[in-house]
This record gives sequence, structure tokens and C-alpha cells, in this order.
Amino acid sequence: MKRIISLWLPTFATDRLNQTKIKAKYKITVNEKQNKEFPLATVQKLNGVKRILAVNNAARLEGIKTGYTLADAKALFPELLIEKADYINDSKTLETLVKAFQRYSPWTAIDLNETNPLVSLIGSGSIWIDITGCAHLYDGEHPLVKDLYNYCLRIGYQARIGLADTPGAAWAVARFNNALSTIIPPKSQKKALAHYPVMALRLDPTTTEKLHNLGLNQIGDVYNVPRAPLASRFGLGLLKRLDQILGLENEPISPYRSKPEYLVRISFPEPIGNKQDIKFALDKLLIKLCKVLEKNNLGARLLKFSIFRIDNTHMSIKAGTSQPSRDPEHLAFLFQEKLDPIDAGFGIEILILQAIETNKSTINQFSIYNGITQKSNTNIAKLIDRLSGKLGVQNVIRFYPVESHIPEQANRAVSAINSTEVFNSWANTSKFLNNCHLARPLELLSQPLPIDVIASIPDGPPIMFIWRKQKYKVMNSEGPERIAPEWWRPRKFSSNSSTFVPKERDYYKLEDHKGKRYWVYRNGNYSTQKITKWYLHGFFS
Amino acid sequence: MSTYAELQVTSNYSFLRGASHPDELVLQAANLGYSAIAITDRNSLAGIVRAHVAAKEYRIKLIIGCRLDFKDYPSLLCYPTNRSAYGRLSQLLTLGKRRALKGSCHLFLDDIIKEGIFAKGKDQIIITIPSNRKYSQSFIKHLSLLKNNINSRVYISVKKGYNGNDNRILKQLAQIAEKLSLPIVAVNDVHSHVSERRVLQDVLTCIRKKCTIYSAGYHLSCNAERYLKSPKEMTRLFSDFPDAIKNVQKIITKCQFNLDELGYDYPIDQTSQNRTTHEELEYQINLCMSGRYPKGVPLKIKKQVKYELALIKKLNYAPYFLTVYDIVKFAKSRGILCQGRGSAANSAVCYVLGITSVDPENIEILFERFISTERKEPPDIDVDFENERREEVYQYIYEKYGRERAGITATHITYKAKSAFREVGKVMGLTEDTIQALSKSSWGSRQRTKPSKERIMEVGLDPKDETLNMVLGLSSQISGFPRYLSQHTGGFVITKNRLDSIVPIENASMDGRTVIEWDKNDLDALGILKIDILALGMLTCIRKTFEIIERHHSIKLTLANIPQKDQETYDMLCLGDSLGVFQVESRAQMNMLPRLKPRCFYDLVIQVAIVRPGPIQGNMVHPYLRRRSGEEEPEYPSADLEEVLKRTKGVPLFQEQAMQIAIVAAGFTPGEADGLRRAMATFRHNGNIQIYHDQLIRGMIKHGYEKEFAERCFKQIEGFGEYGFPESHAASFALLVYVSSWLKCHYPAAFATALLNCQPMGFYKPAQIIRDAQEHGVEIQQVDINYSDWDNILEEKSTNLTKSKISNRNIKWRNFRDQSTSIRLGFCQIKGFKSEDANTLVSKRKNGYNSIPSMKDRTNLKQSTIKKLALSDSFQTLGLDRRQALWATENLKDPKPLPLFSFFSTEALQQEAKVKLKNMTKEEIVIADYKSLQLSLNAHPLSLLRAELKNKNIMPCKDLATVRDGNIIKVAGLILIRQRPSSAKGTMFITIEDETSNANIIIWPHKIEYYRQSLINSSLIIVEGKLQKEGIVTHIIADKIIDFSYSLAKLAKPKVTKSSNIKQKDLQSNITNKRLFPNPRDFH
Repeated sequence: MKRIISLWLPTFATDRLNQTKIKAKYKITVNEKQNKEFPLATVQKLNGVKRILAVNNAARLEGIKTGYTLADAKALFPELLIEKADYINDSKTLETLVKAFQRYSPWTAIDLNETNPLVSLIGSGSIWIDITGCAHLYDGEHPLVKDLYNYCLRIGYQARIGLADTPGAAWAVARFNNALSTIIPPKSQKKALAHYPVMALRLDPTTTEKLHNLGLNQIGDVYNVPRAPLASRFGLGLLKRLDQILGLENEPISPYRSKPEYLVRISFPEPIGNKQDIKFALDKLLIKLCKVLEKNNLGARLLKFSIFRIDNTHMSIKAGTSQPSRDPEHLAFLFQEKLDPIDAGFGIEILILQAIETNKSTINQFSIYNGITQKSNTNIAKLIDRLSGKLGVQNVIRFYPVESHIPEQANRAVSAINSTEVFNSWANTSKFLNNCHLARPLELLSQPLPIDVIASIPDGPPIMFIWRKQKYKVMNSEGPERIAPEWWRPRKFSSNSSTFVPKERDYYKLEDHKGKRYWVYRNGNYSTQKITKWYLHGFFS
Repeated sequence: MSTYAELQVTSNYSFLRGASHPDELVLQAANLGYSAIAITDRNSLAGIVRAHVAAKEYRIKLIIGCRLDFKDYPSLLCYPTNRSAYGRLSQLLTLGKRRALKGSCHLFLDDIIKEGIFAKGKDQIIITIPSNRKYSQSFIKHLSLLKNNINSRVYISVKKGYNGNDNRILKQLAQIAEKLSLPIVAVNDVHSHVSERRVLQDVLTCIRKKCTIYSAGYHLSCNAERYLKSPKEMTRLFSDFPDAIKNVQKIITKCQFNLDELGYDYPIDQTSQNRTTHEELEYQINLCMSGRYPKGVPLKIKKQVKYELALIKKLNYAPYFLTVYDIVKFAKSRGILCQGRGSAANSAVCYVLGITSVDPENIEILFERFISTERKEPPDIDVDFENERREEVYQYIYEKYGRERAGITATHITYKAKSAFREVGKVMGLTEDTIQALSKSSWGSRQRTKPSKERIMEVGLDPKDETLNMVLGLSSQISGFPRYLSQHTGGFVITKNRLDSIVPIENASMDGRTVIEWDKNDLDALGILKIDILALGMLTCIRKTFEIIERHHSIKLTLANIPQKDQETYDMLCLGDSLGVFQVESRAQMNMLPRLKPRCFYDLVIQVAIVRPGPIQGNMVHPYLRRRSGEEEPEYPSADLEEVLKRTKGVPLFQEQAMQIAIVAAGFTPGEADGLRRAMATFRHNGNIQIYHDQLIRGMIKHGYEKEFAERCFKQIEGFGEYGFPESHAASFALLVYVSSWLKCHYPAAFATALLNCQPMGFYKPAQIIRDAQEHGVEIQQVDINYSDWDNILEEKSTNLTKSKISNRNIKWRNFRDQSTSIRLGFCQIKGFKSEDANTLVSKRKNGYNSIPSMKDRTNLKQSTIKKLALSDSFQTLGLDRRQALWATENLKDPKPLPLFSFFSTEALQQEAKVKLKNMTKEEIVIADYKSLQLSLNAHPLSLLRAELKNKNIMPCKDLATVRDGNIIKVAGLILIRQRPSSAKGTMFITIEDETSNANIIIWPHKIEYYRQSLINSSLIIVEGKLQKEGIVTHIIADKIIDFSYSLAKLAKPKVTKSSNIKQKDLQSNITNKRLFPNPRDFH
């Protein structure tokens, strides 16, 4: 005879969030007395609409429900605290919890039927604990359940607990009994559940509605209906659920197993300290790790190399890649520079290499053809990895095109190692520029430099300009190209200095007597501003 | 006058491209001193009439043009130089549009080269639009191709757009032009009238490209130079190329076409026996005369017809009357009910011809309201046809005149405050929920207003937010911009010669319909005549009632042979018992009936006209009622005015009276009086009302009236402009009021059946129509697989009338002529049931079905379909209640068994263990009824809550009759109707219903603010307030409103035996009240 606990955390997603921190974030000052739960909800953007996903009890009391739009919820309770729904951390935390509950029984599991992916959608968590044969450790079931409940409260979670012979029955009483915890004595679930609504059978909504239409509202109503007609109308699903809840059919629970870690280690019988030795060991570890990755068709994006010294101190080095890689040679390069500063101290006894982040490997590195394009692509990636490793991630950058008429806003610098996106967006943009015969200088000054200009008003090209006290006579010119400011940009970003209030600019391409070509502009125009200023903004080759 | 004119102008009729209205562009050009301005929208002439009207007003020359976008070549600008050239341009656009789906136009260069616009002379001017790319050989080839076909009338446009390479491009083009000896011409590719519109234009571009402003990038123009610049500035910009400016002038001189040349030609010209059209009209009138007046034509009519004919002859409108007459004759020959409405009923000619049905003997008619010499506009004849059969009339017209000669008028659908907000909000990156929150709350349904600060805060947004304010500002600018062309509700334009040479014709979204590009105002401006072929649901309903009566009682009724002056009918109306009756079934009308107590036809005319915003805002209702009840003596300032106002007891109620006051008391000519009326109608848009105001006051003082009285008259007249009814129109409607009341009074069952089959129509839902029928002693039968049709039908009753449902409105048993019948609900009432399935069911029924499986075998309907029947409790003839039927239905399997196994037909497999299901409780039955049919014949949902309501001291609505005026009471009910008429200054009227009766609630604006959430979101409310009684009319002035919907939700929940600790959560949260009970109808 088994004894199963169904632990239901109805407000898991909101309980997980630290109220104190959120209050601080929203600058809510609370005095001691009022230090109660504040209405809190998580939101998620679905089809362009921000909707409420999980709500805590305080928010529920204000009438806020899952599925409301954020605007509706805010209208109901304007001070509602909002956090973005975070599935990843939800499921990570749930996994931690499952591990933690192993103190009650080694056999714990996440209830996947409900939790995955529903934890993200309704914000509750559901966990199985098989306590068969464990209760005596707590002097019986009641103390165990009580302890479990208190434990949940202590770590900050609302809990509802059901305990019964079958998972189904435990699940039903955890949710459909008003009590915080309900224990159904062994072999009595049939009688105990008779008055529960059929929904407690874990049925899909259609089946539930069908049953209601026929007046079969309680589980007990279904007991008495002959099985054959039921099966022919509702399929075997209903009967299976019924049998599971009553224990006529076994419902196995697969226990929690942690995710595989891509981790390899070496421990040395004698501590090592020589750089060569470390390097040698690392190479070995890399080969070992890459084999593991290969087995799983993965490539490493981020590696962590931890060094444990005999004096019980340790340090670690990280290295990232721009494309998933499991090429030991390449990966070794990434660490090459970083090994130098390692201080072996009195000696190193353990080395651990771990792939912290992995991706599905896209590179078939052991292809027998070694196609050229593929190779060149990997080579660039390797180069970027090495440069980034050597110079620092933030110092190796790549420019992305941004569609903007304002020259200095037409690109964006991105750290190269994080940008594996395609390059052809530049191709599109330059197509546009070519079409318009618009030339942009090869060198654009990061800050336009003021110059003095002689030009005919209102929009004649400069005849002469003075830059750094030097006169330049203009032999040829083209323009103007008039570029108006982007009106939709918020003012506050541009008004930090009065010289940068956005104005229309008239750009001219100029050629001096030496054949050097410049790109200058007049900020503002004569029809609206009488006084205008000129700037040099770039050089053509 | 300067030499410059802008030749390339994109108005907002190039949807989502131009950022200014045509009239704004024209006005700005006039202000800047342009010698002319062209409008060249993309493949469209939709905006030119507006420009034309503005150009006439601001005295500037308008050049009609169009930008032709080709599928295979670069675009061209095209300007017709004369009427014939214009006609061919319009035909070319028609060709392109008829090829494509609604709203697009597919043109190819061959269309213009091979034939098309140059077929009869090379009298178009063409301007090419070079891109600012490098000019290749293909461009030069394209130019010479054009040149060879169009001689010297091809120009190359040059512009200075401040694109950096302007001069280089200009030089290149000048070289090419010289090489080909083609002239260049300066343009500025104008997209807005002032440069400040750049912001709006960027937003429009984003809407068109479906992107946000932040991601629009190079879709946007880099500067704001595409606006109307001053001629001086344009001359300066092209100082190097003076020819480019000079050539503009040349083009202007050549373009001599003016839209006023589009003389309208009337469709009918062929007449029998060599009569002229006018003789033909006289001939037809004589033929019809004896039909209308078999006892001899009254002198008044003879005189009137003669007078009208003289005017018709003078203005040459005979063909128009003949055209309408022809259409009406066609409809009558097909048995389609129709009736003219509106100002046409002011014409005895129309009555004699059978176009209208109100005898001019009975009402005062004012022919000038219909046709006047001063007004150059053609008369407006609107004819209502049965809505279900109007398409037949449409297709008749298309067939008779052909697609080239007949088309439906367009409606220019414009951005409203809310739709603009939605689009602009998306562009500016507001999230969908923000947009929804503000769109859902009620503001600016019509007017171009911004929501108030309070409204913004109410939905949880910050009224100080910069982006939000920018969005609101921009959307109020965009509102009023045309967004697409739709079709007018029935305006047909028919011409003798080709219509497509007047205006381009395009396909409508509906199959088999073609629409012109211009709307009603455009046609009015050009004096082009349209005939309104309108649809009226009530005519269908009346025809259906006639058919039912004929089938069951063998009496053939028509609009003409309904007994007149039937006192029982008026008795019924005096009680306010008018549910389902045309026009007077609204809440306000129902309240007015017992006060006005109509006793004759003319009373109905007043009844229809008085409950209108015009008379209500003009404060005319109460004086009229007081004078009618004899509390007050009518007084007339002069004998002349007594003549005008006598029939309405000294209170002006009709538009005609307003006009006559001006004529009689202020010495207006009839034409001027009509001008006054029109000025009233549009006084929000134009300012010329002041002129009429002064003229009226001066005139009245001159005729010896007090100034104060004159001012009051003007105020009253003002109210009508937009919202008053003409008497003739009210009379046409009153006729239908009478007919439908008579049918309701004497054939309640037939009328209710027809009404149910015409749904959705009118104010009420099937549940109320059925309830009203029951209260009138009509028996209703449940939907049944062995008796029902798709439609609701009448059944002969086998047993005598059982007075099961006793009327609660003190309705005396009237002379019901269909007591022997009962209504059998049809399958159409079942939610989600399809008519094809119903037809299968009926056609295979033979002698009836005797079991569910055998029905499935015979009809092969899907299991889900049969389930719908079971849920609606339609298997009662088989002795199965809802649950039993459902139990049997759930066992059906969809794919039919293979023939080999048909031996084990479903019937044979019936031998399964018997299952006993619980009986349904009353609550469950009612809820199930509503779920499937949106009504219940078993009980009203409120009756199930009565015990609980009684505990709360809530009285049944019926008992309100026994409560004294001024008492504070509480009632509860389902919300049937919410009304917030614009005339009521924000007050909301709602009608609630419980199992006993209805109650009318008035909610003042400050209460609405307070109880907004309950009012909008709930279906069941408790109202506490003061009772207000005025004769038979009872209102409750709401003080408190409580949302009581949860009690319905409780009913909807499955019944579960209560056990101490077991949670009965919202087990069926998917069945909310909102879905269970029909949504209230909202009227504004």
C-alpha cells in the first residue's frame, strides 16, 4: 500500500518573488504594522497584450484574476505591484524545491501534468511526495504533514496538502478541500471522494462539461454508472482517471532527477603547480568534455575552469565562444592567455572543467569535406573568440545597421562575441543608399567639429571654410541633403546640452584644392533660425 | 498672380500617403498666391470633387489630374485638357479597377499606349516621374515610347527635394530632355499643405507599412520638404532652369477642363409613341390617376399635380421620375414591398405614381422641400425595399442599364477618434492593452474629441504621459481622414451615357456590385442625381406576416388593404403596448405613446416625429403634450402662423414647418427657406448660419413680430437641422407604424413569428418577443425534431387555447384573429445550428423520427449537430428529456459504419445496460434553455431567484403599479437595453426585466460615473431608487445600483450535494453570465 502526498502551491509564482525587494523597487514604505502581503501579480505579453498570469492572495482579494489585461487590473487596483513572469526561474526554483522536499522521502517529483507548462500560466506549483514507509520517521502521518506545511510556510510558500493512497485522490483533496491539509485514511478514498466534484478527477474541460450536462456532477455519481456505456461515451480516459483515483490502476510517479551537468574533473595524487602541467591537464579535460558534448550533440558557449588549491582556496576562469563549439583545440586557445595569471600557490589538487552554457551544435566540425564557406565562417568565429578572449569582450565590436536618416544613429556597436546574426542586413541598407546616390563618408567623426564657413544664404554650398585655424578653399561641392530630426525621440535624451537641440541639418559634400573631400553640415536653416552653425562631420577617402 | 502652380499633389485620398485634405491644399495654394493647383492622387479621382468645391470657394483654378501607377512601368501624371479627355481618363481607371479587387487598380502601359485615353485624340498632358536613380537606357526608351505616341505633350518632371544630389539629377534630366526635345517642368511632389504635417505623414506611412515609428527607418522621408512652398521660393529653387517654371504655366493654360462641365444626363430617353419624356410622364400619371383615386380625383390633388408638373418640366426632371417609377414598378411586379420615404412624400406626383404611399390629401405637403428652382440640386427620392429582397432590385438596375451606366454611390469611410487612436497608438508603440483600455471606455464615438483626464485615469493610464498625449494629439488630427471607400447604403447613380466617363467605377467587396468613387456630397456638389434604393427590415417582416396570414387564414393582405382607422389598434398603442412595432417600440416611444394617446393617423405622424433629438432639444415635447391634453391653450402670434402651426398646436415639430415659418413670417423664398434648413443641417461644419440668422430675424421684425419671439423661433428651427424629421418622412413611417400595429393587434401570433424570423431587427431579442407574444395569449411550442422547421412557423392548435400565461399588463382580450394557432420555434433559434442541417432534417423527416440512432442513420448528421438538438431539448416527441437525449447522443459515432457492418447498425447496438440519470432541477433546465436557445419557455431566470430577492426586500416589477409616486423601492432584473441618447446630456436609460414585467430606470450622469463598472459589466442588477409616475408611465430614478450577476453564476453552477468542507469552486468558469444571457442591446 502506497501513501502519496500531493503538495499544491497555489500561489507559487508570486510567493517566489521577494516582496521586500519588490516593495523597495516600487519605493513602497511600510511600517511594521502594515507589513503584510501587498497585492502582486506577474504579467506576460501575449499577442501584444500584457496579461496577468499569476496573482497572490492579496491581489485576488482585490478582484484581480489570471487572464485580465494589465490595464484592467490596474484600473481595479492602481497600486498593484507588477513583475514580469519568469518561467525559467519558476521552473528552476521548483526543481530546487523538489530536491529540498527529499528530506521527507527520497521519492519526490514535479507533477508534470499540472506544472509543465502550467506553472508558467497559472503560477501554481504541484509536487508529488511518495511517503510510503516514511511517516514513522515523523511519528506518523499527521506530524509529517504538519511539518511539511510549516516548512513550506517558513520558506515563504502557501501550501495545500493532500495525502491518500493514490496520487489522484491526494491531488483531489489538496485542491478541492477547504482545509489546509487533508488526509484520507488508507483504503477509504472511494467513500471520501464521493462528494467531490467530477472536476477533481483531473479531466479536461470538455469531458467535465459533458458530465455536468448529464447531471453527473460528483465523483460519486459516476461510481454507479455501468462502465461499458461510460466508456463508449467518454472514452477510456474517464475510466482511467477514476481507476487511478480509486487505486484500481497504478499511477507511477517518476522521481526527480537533476539535469545532467557537463562537467569533467581531474584530481592529482600529488599537487601540481607548473603552468605546463596545468595546460596539459586542461587539454585532457577539454578532450574529455568535448566527447561528452559530442555525444549529446551540443557545443559549448561558456566554459568554466575551476582550480582548487591544497590550501582550500579556489579560483575560476571563464571563456565564451561566439558559436557553440566542441573543438578542443579551439577551446584551448581561448584559455591560453588566461592561464598565465594563475597563481598555483602551494599547489593545485583538483581541476574541474564545466560547460555552463551549451547550445545545439550547428557546426559539423568533423565533416570530411571541410567545405570552404563553412570553414571561413568558423574561422571568423574562431578569430573573434580569440580576439575577444585576448582584448576583452567589450573591446571587440561589430557594427550593425540601424535604419535611420541621422548619420550617427545609423549604426549600433555590438560586442562581436554575442552577435552571430547574419551580415546581410548591411547589404540591404547599402542597397538603399546606393539607390539614392547618397554617399556616406568612410570616416564619420564621433563628434561633429564646429567650423567657420562662408556660404551664400539661404542654402548655398560653402565657398570656403576654416577648420582648426586653417583655411580650406572649396573647389567642388554637392548638396544640400536636408535631414530633419527624428521627432519621435523623447526630448530628454537630446537636450542635455543646448548645442544639441535637434535641428534640421543641410549636408554638403565638399572638395578642397588638394582634392580632399569633406562632409560638412549646417545645423538649422535660414528660414527658421537666423543664426546657424556649421560642423564638419566626416571625411571621404 | 504668380506663375507657379503645383502639379504633383498627393492628397489624403491617396490613402495613407497624403497628409492633407484636398480642401486644405487648395486653400493653402490660394493663400500662397498660386495661379492654380492640381490634385493627382494615385489611380483615383475620389478627392477631386472636394478640391473642386474648395477651388470654387477660394477662387483658384483647379487642374484635374491623376497619378497613374502602372504594374509594368514607372508612374505618370496625367491631366485631361478637355471633357472628352477626362471621360477617357475615368474609363481608363475604371478598366484598371474592374480588373482588380476592391480598392486596387491594375494598369499597364499598353492600356494607355494602344488605346484608352489617347483613343480619340492626344489631348492629355503627361508628366513622367523620374526616380532619383541613375538614368539608364530603359528610361530613355520609355520616354521616347511615350513621346512617339503623345506628340509634344510629354513633360519630364524635375524637383528639388533636398536629397543631396538634386543638382546632379536635374542636370542629367535636362540633358536627356534636350536630347529628346522634351520639356522639363518643376514640381515639388507635394504630400501636405504645410511642412508641419511631416509628423502626421510619417505616422501615416507607418500605418501603411504596418510598422512602428521606431522601426520605420528608411520608409520615412528624411526631411519635410514635400509641402506647398511659396511661388517665390519655387522660382528661386529653379533659378538655374527657368524653363521648368515657365512650362508649368504652359500646362495650366492647356488644362481647360473644369468639373462643372460634367453635365448630368438623365437615363430614360426612349419613350413610346414618340412622346417626349415629359409627355411620357404626364401620360403615365394619367394612367395611374384612376388607380389611386377610383372615386374621382380630388381638386386639391389635380391642382397640386399640375403645379408640380410645371416645375418638373421647367427643371427637366421628368426622366428622373420615370426612372424611379420604372424601378418601383419592377419591385411591385415581383411582389417586393416598397415605399418611398423622405422628402419625396411631399410630392403628389410621387404618390400618384405609387412611389410613395401617403395620400397628400391627409398631410400638408411642401413641394419646395422636395424640388426647388433656386436649388440647383436634383430631387432626392428615397425608396425603401424589403431588406431581404433588395438585391433583386439592384440586379435589375444593373441588368437594365449595364455596368457602364449604373453604379452605387461610395461612402468615404473616415477615421473616427477611436479608430485613429488605435492605429496611431500601434505606430507609436503603445501596447495592445493600453489601446484596448482606452478604446473600450466610452469617449468620442462621433466627435473628434480627446478623452477627458478622468477617463484616462479611470482605465489606469497616466494623463501626463508624453507618448500618450502625442498619440491623442495625432489621432485627433487623423480623425476625419478617409481610409477607404465603402458603398453607400443604397444610392444608385444611373446615367444615359456612360457613367464611367464621369467617374471611375470599381468593384465592391460584395459580389456583383460596382461602386463609383464619389460619395453623396460629391454628387450633390456636381448636381448628379442618385436614387436611394434602401432596405427596410420592417417591410420584410410585414411581407412575412402577410404570407403567414395568407397561409393560415386565407386572407390576402397588402399595404393598401389594411383596414384604416381601426380603434382597437389605437387602443393598443395608447397602452404603450408596441413591442415589435415599427419605429415606436423604443423605450422613449413606448413612454410617449400613453402620454400622446394617438387616436388617428396624423397622431402617429406626430408620434414618430416628436421623439427625436430635434424636438426634444428644442423643448417642444412638453408644450405640445400640454396643449394636446388641454392643459394649455395653443397660441399663435399671427393668423399666418396659425395656418402653418395649427396641426401641431402651435409647436413647430417638422422641418417643413420651420421652413414655412421662414417663408410666411420672415418673407423667405421657398428656395431660401430650404437653404436655411441645409445650413442648419451642416452648421457644425460651416459658418454661414449667421447670414440666415440675421435674415430671419430682420425679416420677422419687418413682418411685425417681436424680436424675442423671432429669436425663439430661430432657436427652435436650429434644433431641427440635423435631427428633425420632415413631415412627409414621418408620414411615410407612420404608415408602417400603423400597418405593423394593426398586424400585432389582430394577428399577434403571425406577427411575432415573422418578427422572430427577421432577427436581428429592432430593439428586442427573441426572449422578449416570445414573452410579449405569450402575454398576448399566444402559445409557444418548444423546438422539436418532428415539428420544427428552420424558421419559426405557425401551427394549428389541436386543443383549445389554454390560458396558461395570463397577461400582466391588463390587456383586454382583443379581437385576436389567430387564436387557433401557436408558434412553433424553429431550429434557427438553436445557437450554432446550421440551416443546411435543418433542411436535411426536415427533408428526410417523412413521418417523423422515432429514435435518435435511427435519425442519425437517416440524416447522417454529425454527432455534434445532434448534440445541439439534444441540448436544446428538441427530442421531447420521443419522450426523451434533455439528459436522456444527451446520453443517447453521446453514444453516436461519427464516421458511418462501413456497409459490411451496417448489419450492426447503431440501432442494433442499443442493447446496453440501462443507466438512470438524475432529473434536472428547474434551475438547471432554465440555464440549459438559455445556453442553447437564449430564452426559456419554462421559467424566467429571475423567478428562480425570487425567494432570495424577497429576503432582500426587492419587489417584482409588476408591483410597481401599486406603489405610489415618490416612494423609494428596490427592483432587480436582467438588463435588456442600455440607451444613452445624445439628446439626453449623458443620462442613461436602461430597461430591466424580471419574471413579472419590465422596469425603466433613469440614471443621471454622476451616478453613471460612480456605477460604471456594474452598468457595463453585469447582466443582472439590483436598482434602488425613487419611483416617478406620470400617468401610466413609470420610471425609477436610480440611486444605488448593485451588480447581482453572481447570483446567476450560482444558478449556472452544477448542483452538488453540499458537504462540509468540499470546495465548490467556479467549476464551469467557462460559462460566464455574459455568454449565458444575451448581451444587452446598446443604442445611442
